[in-house]
Amino acid sequence: MLLTPEVLAILVLNLLFGLFGAVAFLLSLKIFLKWDADATTPLQYTLEKQSFLAATIIKYIFSVKVPLFAFFVFTLDKISGVITGAMCAAGVVDATQSGMYLIALKIINLYLFASWLKLHSIDMSDKNQPYTKLKFGLFLLFFLSLLLELVLDFRMFGGIEIDKMVSCCGSIYSSSSTSALSTLFKIDNALLLSLFYGNYFLILLFFFLKKKYLFGMLNTLFLPLSLVSLILFFGTYIYELPSHHCPFCFLQADYYYVGYFIYLSLFLGTFHGMMIGFMPKVENGYKISLLFNSLYVILLTLYVLFYYFKNGVLL
Amino acid sequence: MRSRINLYIVEYAINSLLRQKYKTLFIGLVLTLLIFLLSSVFFITNSMKHELQATVDALPEITVQKIKAGRHDEIDVDVIDAILELNGVESAVARVWGYYYFQNAGVNFTLVGIDEYEEQYKKSFVAAASKLDFTKPSMLVGEGVKRVMDANYYKEYFNFIKPDGSLKRVDIGGVFKAETELESNDIILMSKESVREIFDMKENKATDIVVRVANFNEVATIASKIKLLYPDTRVITKDDLKISYQNIFDYKSGIFLALFTTALFAFFIIIYDRASGLSSEQKREIGILKAIGWRVDDVLREKFYEGFVVSLLAYVVGITLALAFVYIFHAPFLREIFSGYSQLKTSFALPFVLDMQTLALLFFLTVPLYIAAIIIPSWRSATLEADEVIR
Amino acid sequence: MIRLVDVVKKYEVNQSQSVVALDGINLEIKKGEVVVLRGSSGSGKSTILSLIAALSKPTSGEVVVGDERISKLPDSFASDFRRNTIGFVFQKYNLIHTLSVEENIILPLVPINLDAKEIKVKLERVLGMFHIAHKAKQLVKNLSGGEQQRVAIARANINNPQIILADEPTANLDAKLSLSFVEIVKELKAEGKTIVIATHDPLFFGLDVVDREIEISQGKLL
Ligand SMILES: Nc1ncnc2c1ncn2[C@@H]1O[C@H](COP(=O)(O)OP(=O)(O)O)[C@@H](O)[C@H]1O
Ligand SMILES: [Mg+2]
Repeated sequence: MLLTPEVLAILVLNLLFGLFGAVAFLLSLKIFLKWDADATTPLQYTLEKQSFLAATIIKYIFSVKVPLFAFFVFTLDKISGVITGAMCAAGVVDATQSGMYLIALKIINLYLFASWLKLHSIDMSDKNQPYTKLKFGLFLLFFLSLLLELVLDFRMFGGIEIDKMVSCCGSIYSSSSTSALSTLFKIDNALLLSLFYGNYFLILLFFFLKKKYLFGMLNTLFLPLSLVSLILFFGTYIYELPSHHCPFCFLQADYYYVGYFIYLSLFLGTFHGMMIGFMPKVENGYKISLLFNSLYVILLTLYVLFYYFKNGVLL
Repeated sequence: MRSRINLYIVEYAINSLLRQKYKTLFIGLVLTLLIFLLSSVFFITNSMKHELQATVDALPEITVQKIKAGRHDEIDVDVIDAILELNGVESAVARVWGYYYFQNAGVNFTLVGIDEYEEQYKKSFVAAASKLDFTKPSMLVGEGVKRVMDANYYKEYFNFIKPDGSLKRVDIGGVFKAETELESNDIILMSKESVREIFDMKENKATDIVVRVANFNEVATIASKIKLLYPDTRVITKDDLKISYQNIFDYKSGIFLALFTTALFAFFIIIYDRASGLSSEQKREIGILKAIGWRVDDVLREKFYEGFVVSLLAYVVGITLALAFVYIFHAPFLREIFSGYSQLKTSFALPFVLDMQTLALLFFLTVPLYIAAIIIPSWRSATLEADEVIR
Repeated sequence: MIRLVDVVKKYEVNQSQSVVALDGINLEIKKGEVVVLRGSSGSGKSTILSLIAALSKPTSGEVVVGDERISKLPDSFASDFRRNTIGFVFQKYNLIHTLSVEENIILPLVPINLDAKEIKVKLERVLGMFHIAHKAKQLVKNLSGGEQQRVAIARANINNPQIILADEPTANLDAKLSLSFVEIVKELKAEGKTIVIATHDPLFFGLDVVDREIEISQGKLL
């Protein structure tokens, strides 16, 4: 068990999320089962009022979770100073069995909550509130996902042993290691890059053609492709080291916190893209999506180009 | 249009806070106190960590101790020669030091022996070595020690009691200053010969051996080689020390925090209770707002703006007060809890350390908690029946 | 303009008891009409006004204003409707006493984040129209009853709504001030507004400006 003030802060907030989330869950369940937009019964009026509470709680959890995610990575970085062998957050994530899944789950949950809020705002701007049952039904599932994340959080911090030797990110993110990620390194760079840029140009194409489903699908595909190519290829140019593949180190001050910018633009770009494809009645957002996706692509490409101009070779 | 921050609602929220002076003041004060205490604790531990880290940084890369029957024992001085043989070792020095308990004052001094013509393993000792008179039993004392001795009327010299009960008189030759006060506060510097005499240590023995390594990357390799040569030793690298210091501090503030969590929940309840208790005047006001076209969401928004204003203000004020308390007034009372050196009742200044991470930590421990506490009361008031006000 | 169809409103007093405040109301009010709802205390006048203003929802039946079925609107739409279409002059004025006249009048505009300039234009229009510009900066609690009512009317008109609802407007006024309220009604009628006045004050009975009087008793129209 590792009880630093940072960890305790995260756990206390998790407890709050759990408690308030449970309240929202119960309300959602009631609304999901009993909502009847046509009824003029006292029950329906009560449900209408309670739907505000549930939505407010979900909004609250999301708006705290976003900065808390950055703080979480920050904390892992700091803990890495305490754990023998770990040099940055990646080592800490590796120190527990569930670490990598936890990070993935956290990202998925952010997407889920953000899309819930999007659906909520679409619902609220319609006189008939057509998606009320749907959105609270969805939250029933999202809450379970949140609960899983909270449990994993507790297990992760409970499971870190300070004295245990762990790998540094250099060995996790390399082809020779045995960690779950290493299979990824078998992918050929040329193939990966053609997929990455190909995907981007298709997004660009369907931006002009305004085909919303394809645009949304492509954005969904773009997210994992971007993350993989970031770890395998672009990351090495940010660090200017062929063997340094860590997706966390560039969040540190040494790299001017560029990681936050990279991840934020990827998130904003793909999220808005997905919303266009999968949410009812979303027409605008094409521009925001394309803008941030392009920023992401351009920024990473620039890292490669600058390296090439400076050194005359590629890594 | 509605999703933008609405300054008119912010203005209304501030106005509303001012109109409920006493309630606002009460909640504000409780919150400020909480943030003040919390940030004081963090500032103190951060500074002490920083200070200790600086001390550790000044240490040699490797320390070799002899272990006998599981306990730290005196080590043979000839071990040095074998260590110096190893590739990559720059220097190895035998240290002679120990704790001396001064019963009259109930405090521990740290006695450290130095040699005139030896390479000093700490920078601060170089100046001290030239100042210390090696021709007779003489010593340089840290400021904390000086104060204790003065208080006990040892102005010129001090009598150490040797293990056999006889006295050893040593003159006070001056005050010893190091880079950090924490480091030099309880230290007494004298010749190795005198220290050996006071602790009844043989000529060919030392407390431990410190090793300097030319290349930082070789520390681990050399440490394991020494361990192979002398299996009866404990070889500690600087990194080990750093980590254990960090652990001690995180552990201490962790315990404090665990206690604090209880306080946080008490605070949560207080806020919840305060925010729930709406006067009939306030209920009427919300009814009016809804009756003239405010949405439930607008009322909720107004309530949250109120919460933000109060909690951010308390955050800034609490932190500012804590900065003053810790770095200007040297944190009376609180520091004693955290300083392991409190037996030596002397004060030392804390170096100023303030980083983003601590500020973020303080934020996450207070503001979201406060906002959470007002969610349900705010929702209750926002969904009050508006048509009551028309009766 | 305003249509109530088979409107029933029940209030649940507790689990077993409920009060029928309105019992099958059918009513239509045309655009630009000035209507007086008369009836004794407790007959259901205020309840009708609150239904028209979307402040409460009927237990059954429908309330239609313009072509909006307001009895079916969710909160955010009901609020927007109330702000844009309805000006409500409450019986007790419902001003916030610790705010100034100005601040009270612009209260309906606060959530919609207008330009400061736009707000100023709207404010000055109603301050002039209801003759309270000279008191604009004063706290409401220092105003007389008649002045408070003018502030309440100014607030109801800040968005230049099509419908004005007034609940017992003369209950707290002396005879002279009551007459000046009738003058205000005339002015508003001249602007083409639809006006509904709920009252049991005989002053309004048989007035020229009133197009129609509707009698209500025990939740039913007579
Ligand atoms: N919130 C309420 N709970 C229970 N009964 C109510 C409520 N509001 C109004 N009533 C009842 O509904 C009836 C009509 O009230 P109201 O419309 O205020 O009458 P009026 O305005 O004509 O005096 C009255 O009998 C009153 O007691
Ligand atoms: Mg009435």
